[in-house]
Order: sequence, then structure tokens, then C-alpha cells
Amino acid sequence: MHNVTNDIESWSIIALLSVVTLLLPLLAFIFMAVIKKSAEKLSAAISTAIMFIATALAVYICFQVWPNESFAGTLNWISFSNGSVVNVGVLINFEAAAMLIVVLSISSLVHLYSLKYMQDDEGFKRYFAFLAFFTFSMIGIVIADNLLAIFVFWELVGLSSYLLIGHWYKKESASFAASKAFIVNRVGDVGFVLGIAILWTHFQTLDLTALSMAMSESIIKEGVWEFGGQSIDASWLTVAGICLFLGAVGKSAQFPLQIWLPDAMEGPTPISALIHAATMVAAGVYLMIRVFTLLNIDALTVIATIGAITAFMGAIAALTQHDIKKVLAYSTISQLGYMLMGIGVGAYGAAFFHLFTHAFFKACLFLSAGSVIYALHEYSAKSKNKFDTQDMRNMGGLRKYLPVTFTAYLIASLALIGIPFFSGFLSKDALLSGAYAWASLMGGEGFSLYYLIPDLGFITVVLTAVYMCRQILLVFFGEFRLKGTTDVAVIESPLLLRITLVILAMLSLGLVWSFNPFDFNTSWFLSAVQVPEIVTPDFDQFWQLSLVEISSKNHLLISTASILLVAVGLAIGYYIYRPQGRYVLNYATRPMAKHFMQKISYYNWYLDPFYFYAVHRPVLWLSRGCRWVDRRLIDRGINLFGIFNVIFAHGIAWLDRYVVDGMVNLAVFVAGRFGNLTRSIQGGKVQNYLVLAILGLILIIYWSI
Amino acid sequence: MSIENFYILSAFLFCIGFAISATKKNAIVVLMGIELMLNAANINFVAASTFDKGIAGQYFALFVIVVAATEVAVALAIVIKLYKHFNTVDLDKINHLKG
Repeated sequence: MHNVTNDIESWSIIALLSVVTLLLPLLAFIFMAVIKKSAEKLSAAISTAIMFIATALAVYICFQVWPNESFAGTLNWISFSNGSVVNVGVLINFEAAAMLIVVLSISSLVHLYSLKYMQDDEGFKRYFAFLAFFTFSMIGIVIADNLLAIFVFWELVGLSSYLLIGHWYKKESASFAASKAFIVNRVGDVGFVLGIAILWTHFQTLDLTALSMAMSESIIKEGVWEFGGQSIDASWLTVAGICLFLGAVGKSAQFPLQIWLPDAMEGPTPISALIHAATMVAAGVYLMIRVFTLLNIDALTVIATIGAITAFMGAIAALTQHDIKKVLAYSTISQLGYMLMGIGVGAYGAAFFHLFTHAFFKACLFLSAGSVIYALHEYSAKSKNKFDTQDMRNMGGLRKYLPVTFTAYLIASLALIGIPFFSGFLSKDALLSGAYAWASLMGGEGFSLYYLIPDLGFITVVLTAVYMCRQILLVFFGEFRLKGTTDVAVIESPLLLRITLVILAMLSLGLVWSFNPFDFNTSWFLSAVQVPEIVTPDFDQFWQLSLVEISSKNHLLISTASILLVAVGLAIGYYIYRPQGRYVLNYATRPMAKHFMQKISYYNWYLDPFYFYAVHRPVLWLSRGCRWVDRRLIDRGINLFGIFNVIFAHGIAWLDRYVVDGMVNLAVFVAGRFGNLTRSIQGGKVQNYLVLAILGLILIIYWSI
Repeated sequence: MSIENFYILSAFLFCIGFAISATKKNAIVVLMGIELMLNAANINFVAASTFDKGIAGQYFALFVIVVAATEVAVALAIVIKLYKHFNTVDLDKINHLKG
């Protein structure tokens, strides 16, 4: 299936089509970049149309791949003198094709949405150009078959995320948030590069298929990992897996690097929907799916632990936020934690399914939040009342004014909470039963620390229900908290915004994904995902099989438990945040977080201050020390050297002036004298010439005789 | 009458002509000197011809006389031009060939 070739003509038509879908957004980017500013509205519409064409292509590709085809094509990229070669190419399997659809469909919907949402923005052209550029780089990650190529696109995605978070770069907080996102992501990327380096050193290849073949051929003997005559300590296998995971930790905002994602909400809301909820942050999960076969049991355990911790921490932090987008951002962190926990516990299909459903319902949530912000912005402009349009303290009772937005928001929230009949229920259920099966397989009967992972997952289910219930009640129910200041009414967002919301809300319904909305086992999506076999040496081959077996056995128990937990969460949420309740009545005038638990939640576990004291401060001290050394030692040395140089130069100048110049002057003097000497013969007197001529003649005659 | 006498005469005449052309200041006198040198050559031609069977030497003498006549015509024209241009025929003052 996978033969390395240097000839693009031997690529299958599907592989070529996937390259076309990669190049279409690049075309849109170049187009938006070169167009005149006066034509930006029209060209943005054209760019949107290009995205829809690419989406259609992606759907076609997915149908060709269905259910279990795989297309690949490679070209030589870099050839080293020692014979090893880095290839670049595409690998389209079901996961890649499905991911293509997610990226392109949400990207084109966000394009459509932004046409209206960003229409009065002065950076309109720039915004659309970067949006197309982001789509291009994201598709690169999805279709590339090689870790190095994935890394290149991975960085391009980071760059476009930076550019789009900093879209309103004149706002200081936005440009800080952009830098923060970029820098924190680099920390994870260092891990990614190290992981790539370890795999390259051991296998001399970075092709995903070639890597998994090489991995299955390698063996572990007496604590040494051997492949093709090379042997290194077996712990490197785990290290490589964890290093690759570090890349995902940065990109997918996992503990302890999740601090950048809430700040990234400084970008425009459609950007938050596309990049920081649906696609880019899911790239980490997608990377883990691509390299799933290369992870061993220890690396998987680390991934599951980090994922579960992040899911819990994110959900706690989402409980007390006032910014409508921050709640969703923490929720995204929490859901990404779920997905990585799913990868870690071997629930590969469930993790990918959750990525898929989450992409749609979270994009819907963000775009609905954008619609709320848009409506409040219009209201603020009309009533000449300046207020923070993202703060939930200025909302309330909006369901009467924004019925379509409310419906979309409600559907997507129910999907996020995990209510039956909605997409999130299916995927979350699959994830949780996978996690539970993993714990019982790893821990055996009785008490075991492994049970903490699914338990954290279950607690997060309750918390998710609470915070989403809180948000819906605070935004859409009760009374509008700014009413009475004017008689201007909040009006529903324009048609273009509503259309995208309706499309995304429909995709959040459970019936779209499974014929029986109570049982994820009947989901066509999950049955299409072929779980690849983990091929790391010393891996128990029955591990994955037993997981599937246990998971399908305990599924009824798990779904009952999770429905109960959701009900508990909703009840708690409704009780605390009910309209006319104590909390809601005092909400607008509520003081800042007081209790320790509230503060932990509001300040996101004090991670930012922690990094400030643990990283920021020491780095500052270190740089101050470096500056002192620079000033006092190095600068002084350099000054001394400079003085010495000046003195030396003076000596050289003397030598130059008197010796070198003197010699030159002497030569000039001699030449001048000679000239004068010969000049006197040319006196200009005809008679002298005559005499000389005759003399010359006489001499010639004399000599010739 | 031996030929040496003719040669001595012509050499003498040539030297006088050369001395005049090399030393005199007036351009016309210099021209006269040149005429003397030409005629010294003519004496040589004719003298050599008398000790020879052919008469080529005499032809040549006639030829030189014709050339000398044209030469004088041209040279005098040049002298007149010089005089018009420099207002003098003093060769010491006409030193524009000076490098």
C-alpha cells in the first residue's frame, strides 16, 4: 500500500484531490492578500465560496474513503548524504477524511458568519486572508503523512492563531494574549521536536506508516529497545510517546499549559469558534490519533492522567467566570481533556467521535455567543450606553429577544452537557465507558488508583451540567439586567448569522450521528472508525480487545450513571442559578470572588500567578543578572579592547602617513622629474625638430654604414 | 675633374643650407635654406650622371627642380597664412607645437 515514489503521476486521484483541497485555501489567502482594499467585500465572498468548494471536495473524498479505504502518495523531500530520506506526502484514511470535513465545513461556515460579523472592521481584508491561511495550514496537518511535514504545518497553525488572536492588535490585552498563546505553545512544541528527534534517531524515518511498521519490528530485550542493529534504553520508548504528547499538551491546552486558551478569547468570536474551539485545539488530539500506534502503555497512562486532570480543572474554572466566552473557553479545555483521556485509555474511536461532535456543538456555542455579543453591541451603539458586551452581568432574559440564537445555544449546550438525543451524549458516553473499562482492566477488582481517572470524568459530567445550566440561566432567562436604562430593544442578529447557527445546531443533534440515540454502539460514525492496533514492543495484544469487550458490557451501567449525574448537575445548577433566586437577583452587583474555592475557580487554579512567580520572575532575575554581567564585565572588556584598538590605530595611521605615503610621494616625484626632462625636447620650435631629425638621419646613416 | 670636387661642393652647399634653416629666425629665410639643400642634392645627381652612361640623374635633377618649385609655392602660401594668423614670421615666436 505504501510504496515510496518520486513520481506524482503515480498518485491516486484521491490523494491528488486532497492536495487540491490543501491548495484551495492557500489560493484564497493569496487572493485576499493581493486584492485591493476597495474590493474586499466581494473578494471575501469569493474566498468563502472557495471554502465551500473545498468542503464539497472533502465530502467527496470522505465518500471515496468510506468505509475503510486508504490513499497515500509520497514524494522525496530531503535526501541526506548518508542515504536516509525524508518524504512528504499525504495519507488519507477515514480519520483524515472526516477531519477534513470538520475543518472545512466549520471554516466555511465561519467564513460565512464573518462576512456579516466583521463587516465594519477595518482589518476585514487581513482577517479573511489569515482565516484562509489558517484553513490551509490546518488541512496540512490533517493530510500530511510525515511527522516533519505535520510539524511544519503545526507551526503555521500556531502562527495564524497568533495573528488572529492579535487581530485587534491596538488593544494591549489582545497583543499580550497573542504573544502568550504563541510562547506557551512553543513550550509544548519543544517536546514535539524532541519526540520527532528520538523517533528519527532510532528508525531513520518519519513516515507514519513506515514508523508503525518499524515499531512493530522493533523489540525490547532485557530493558533495551532494539531495532535494526541499533539499541537504546527501553525508557526512550515512553519518553518519545510523552514528548509527542507534549506537543498536544501545548496545542490542545492541557494541564499544565492550558493558560493560553482563556486569554486567546481576545480574538474575534468567529476565530474563537473556528480555531480555539473546533479545529486547531483539536489538532493535538488528532496528532495523538495519528501516532496512536506508537504509544506504549506508560505513555498512554500519562496521557489519560493529564487528560482527566485537565477535564476536571477546566470544568471547575468554568463555574465562576463572568465573561460569556471565557466560560466556553474553559469548557473547551475541559472537553479537550476528555478527548485526550479517551486516547490515553485506549478509547480511540470514542475520542475521535468526541472531537467530531465537540467541533460542531462548540462552534455552534461560540457562534451563538458571537450572535449575542453582536446583538448587544448593536444595542449598545443604539442606546448610546457603553458596557462590556461579553459580560454576563449585562445580559439576562435574552431568550425573548434572540429566539433563534437561544434555540441554537440550548441545543448545543444540551449536546455539551450530554443529554440523550444530542450528539455529545453519544460521544461522552463512549468515552466514559472506555475510561471505566480501562480502569477495571488496569486496576483489577477492588480499590485502585486507576479508578480516579473515570471518577474525575464523572465528576466533570456533573460540573459541566452545572456551569452550562448557569450560563444559560444567566444569559437567556430572568430579566434583561440593563433594561430600564433606555427604551431601545435588543433585536435578533442578521439572517446570515442565524443561518450558520441553525446549520451547526442541527449537526449537534444525536439522530444525525446514530440511529439509536441512546446507544453509541449503533453510531455509524463509531463503526466506521477502525481502531488501529498498537504496535509498540512488549504491548499486550489482548489489551485493546479486552477494553472493547468490557466497554460494551458496562455501557448500560455507564450511560445510566451519566444520565443520573447530568440530572444531578442540572438540578444543582437550576437550584443555585434559578431566575428570581438569591444568586441571580444580586448577580449584577455581586462582589468579586471571596471564598478560597471561588477564587480557585475564578483565577483558574492560580496557574497564571504560579507561572508568574515560578517562571516569569526567575527569568526576569536571570536576565537582570545577565544584564549586570553584560554591563560590568563584558562591556568593560569591550571598552578596554576599544581603547587599545584606538591606540593601535593611531600608530598605524603614523606609519601610513609617513612610510607608505612617503614611498608613494617619492615615486610621484621621480616620475615628475623624468617628465620634465623629456618635456624640454618638445620645445615647440620647428627648427629644433629639424636639427634633431637631421641628427637622427645622420646617426642612422652612420650605423647602417 | 674628379667627382670628389662635386661632392665636396654639394656637401658644402648642403651644410650652408642646413645652417640657414636651423638658425635663421625668419621663416622665408629658412625656406631659402631648404632650397639650398635641395640644390645641393641636384648637384650630386647631375655630377653622378656625368660619370655614368645613362641620363637618369639629370632627369631626376629636373624632377627635383619641379618639386622644389611647387614646394616653394605651397610653403610661401603657408608662410602667408602663418603671418596672417600670428602677425609675425619669427619662428621663435611661433611655438605652438610645444608639448
